Amino acid sequence: MEFLLTQLSGFGGAFLALVVDPLTYIYLVVSVFLGITFGALPGLTATLAVTILTGFFGNKIPLDYSLIALLGAYVGAIYGGSYPSILLNIPGTAASAATAMDGYPLAKAGRGGEALGLTTTASFIGTLIGTLALLVFVWLLLLLSKNIASPEKALLALFGILLSGTLMSEDLVIKGWISGLIGLAMAMVGLDPLLSEPRYTFGWSYMLSGFQVVPVLMGAFAVPQIIEGMRHMELGQMVQLKGRILPNMAAIRRYLPTIARSGVIGTGVGALPGVGEDVAGWVSYGVGKTVSREGDKFGKGSLEGLLSSETANNACIGGALIPLLVLGIPGSPPAAALMGAFKINNIIPGPTIDPAIILRVVAIMVLASVTMFIMGLFTARIFMKILRIPQVVFLPIVMVLTTIGSFSVGGGINDLYLMLGVGFVAYFMNLMKYPIAPLVIGVILGGLFDETFRRSLLISGGDLSVFGSRPVAAVLLALNLALILSQVPTVKRAFGKLRGRFA
Amino acid sequence: MTSGAVKLITAAVLAAGVGGAAAAQEYPFRDITTAVVWGAGGGTDSINRMIMAEMEKHLPVSINVINQTGGVAGSNGLVYVMNQPDDGYTLVGLSESNVTAAVQGGWDKKFDYWYPFIVGGSPDLISVPADSPYNTLEELVDAAKAEPGTIPAAASGAGSIHHLNLLAIQNGAGAEFLFVPYQGSAPGQEAAIAGEVQLVVTSLAEQAALIEGGQLKPLAMLTPDSAEIAGTTVPSAFDIYDGLDQYLPLMQAIGFAVHDSASDEVKGVLGEAFEQAIASDVVAEWAETNNYTVSGAYGGEAQEIFSTLESNFAYTLQELGATEVDPASLGIERP
Repeated sequence: MEFLLTQLSGFGGAFLALVVDPLTYIYLVVSVFLGITFGALPGLTATLAVTILTGFFGNKIPLDYSLIALLGAYVGAIYGGSYPSILLNIPGTAASAATAMDGYPLAKAGRGGEALGLTTTASFIGTLIGTLALLVFVWLLLLLSKNIASPEKALLALFGILLSGTLMSEDLVIKGWISGLIGLAMAMVGLDPLLSEPRYTFGWSYMLSGFQVVPVLMGAFAVPQIIEGMRHMELGQMVQLKGRILPNMAAIRRYLPTIARSGVIGTGVGALPGVGEDVAGWVSYGVGKTVSREGDKFGKGSLEGLLSSETANNACIGGALIPLLVLGIPGSPPAAALMGAFKINNIIPGPTIDPAIILRVVAIMVLASVTMFIMGLFTARIFMKILRIPQVVFLPIVMVLTTIGSFSVGGGINDLYLMLGVGFVAYFMNLMKYPIAPLVIGVILGGLFDETFRRSLLISGGDLSVFGSRPVAAVLLALNLALILSQVPTVKRAFGKLRGRFA
Repeated sequence: MTSGAVKLITAAVLAAGVGGAAAAQEYPFRDITTAVVWGAGGGTDSINRMIMAEMEKHLPVSINVINQTGGVAGSNGLVYVMNQPDDGYTLVGLSESNVTAAVQGGWDKKFDYWYPFIVGGSPDLISVPADSPYNTLEELVDAAKAEPGTIPAAASGAGSIHHLNLLAIQNGAGAEFLFVPYQGSAPGQEAAIAGEVQLVVTSLAEQAALIEGGQLKPLAMLTPDSAEIAGTTVPSAFDIYDGLDQYLPLMQAIGFAVHDSASDEVKGVLGEAFEQAIASDVVAEWAETNNYTVSGAYGGEAQEIFSTLESNFAYTLQELGATEVDPASLGIERP
């Protein structure tokens, strides 16, 4: 109890400092607006919004303010994706794909205003649930993380790459792992972290510092999105919006259990390393469909279905920040971009991160969700106008912004070649249905894995048992093995048989 | 004569005129840029931002601080500034860690390419986790002598200032630890708190908060003087082991530099502004709160400090087999 009180008072202090600073509002309003716009425009994602802002703001303005801009855009973009989902039946971001299932039928039935009002409220509550979880769990985990040394970190990093590969694949899980391993290999380039030996640099001094995170992020997330968007124009018929955009309080009250459940699911999925809002939305939607008494109405314009996905994807944000802040392992692709922002500011998220930063992040999240809520209710018409902008107009602009952002981080012209190179590879990987997020997670966590794995062996004198003899490490090792074995055909069959016998 | 040609000639005349005027202008007449070779928010970056803000007060122009990071040992930034004209309008913000850039293959100049200004650095000390069985440096060294090469010791990457300090204490005390490199000081300190390593060598500025928080136990300063930290006196390792002065102290040297080939006028103006800035209360206050020792050395004196650091770092790295270029081929002398 006392712990909770200190937490709340710490948060209060950070919140107050934020509220009284007029600069806060400038960054917040602009970034939330930008975020919603990015989310609402099909083809532009939350990851892209945070990535581009990282390029622009990352090392130009103090971290305190760039965090406002990045988190504001993150919260806004995840919410903004619901507009085209409901009005056009085209998800603005992958995160709101599940929202379209019920949102579009509602809009066609003339309840679009009500649907938007509900998603706005659900996103608001969802963000707050995720943020509350962040405030509480970050501290519990920080206490635990004092016992996390190199072997545990190595296994966690590996788990993050594997899990991201497993859950982000569209068809074959192995494709996600291949993507993750490519990222892992890319992370090996540069001066090796233990012995300062150059690896895979081919005598080129640019390569000595390895692949920089921001150009890789831009290349992996922005370039393929833009090419894809230009090639396949999605034209939906905008549903005429009837009714005012107001939260239907009766529905909110009635579906409060659904909202709470979805919030918890979203936060949990977010906390898994490298798995983002899109998975959260679908998982919550799936769970809702199974447990709800009105499950058969899902997909035909069910308010409950709408609330399930839209609460979860926003709750995911707070969840995704938990492993990022405590362990330096991003919980979602946009969090990977945030990690990039921390890195260029020389802040290493982890057990010794300044607690003030965590409190500030929580305070920003709360303020950002309020801003999003107000904007959603009062300026929704503007976003609907933005929806009418054709992709041929905004995609080239985004490409220019991406290029400037990537260049301005400070690595010189070579960063642009890297961005384009990664971008084209990523585009063809997309075509072959290889997920890109595991690659980026691999680049970010690969260095951590390499360093901590070899350091563990250095300290243990080459004894591999160090990964099994420590309690936390043993659990993580078991998780990793289970994840790999679950995809081996013979094991799969054996499990199938077992299940058959007991059923 | 066509109007195009007229324009061209006018432009040429104007350009020559401006050029002539520029040559006659006194330094500095336009803004100065300082390119810091390490990332924003780090020690070298914040020190440069502070000292540049102070120096601005004594110069008629502003100084912009930017970051040019990457390469090996900050070589991207060094090369960037090297390629700018040596007119004193582009300075480089650097630290002692940059002296290895040449032997690691990042660029091909000896460090006396620069005319450095040293703001200061934070002294290194040796600490153990709070629950460590060792309470003095002697106990730790005796344990290491009993089982050489088994006690893991954290310091940031091979060839860093902290690693060199660890090597110096090993040589001076005749003990051998198991060196475990970390990417920077913070992860090494985390590892000590988590019990992964049994001792850590980093600077006082980096450890102060952890010592005050009771998470690390300081054993000895690696400088000739003892220090007061969190109400207790930390003895100097020099008083414990004779002959340490042969290897120590190796202090951080954080500051900035201008091309050594810059004119005397440039060096003079910068030196004067630097002296005034170093003497200010702002610098003293900052050093006090952040556990830094102010140096204020510049020019020849600072070049000598950097040259000692350079030969120490270069040959240590060569012994470790981590050099790309033979230091002797660059004209770096053995320490």
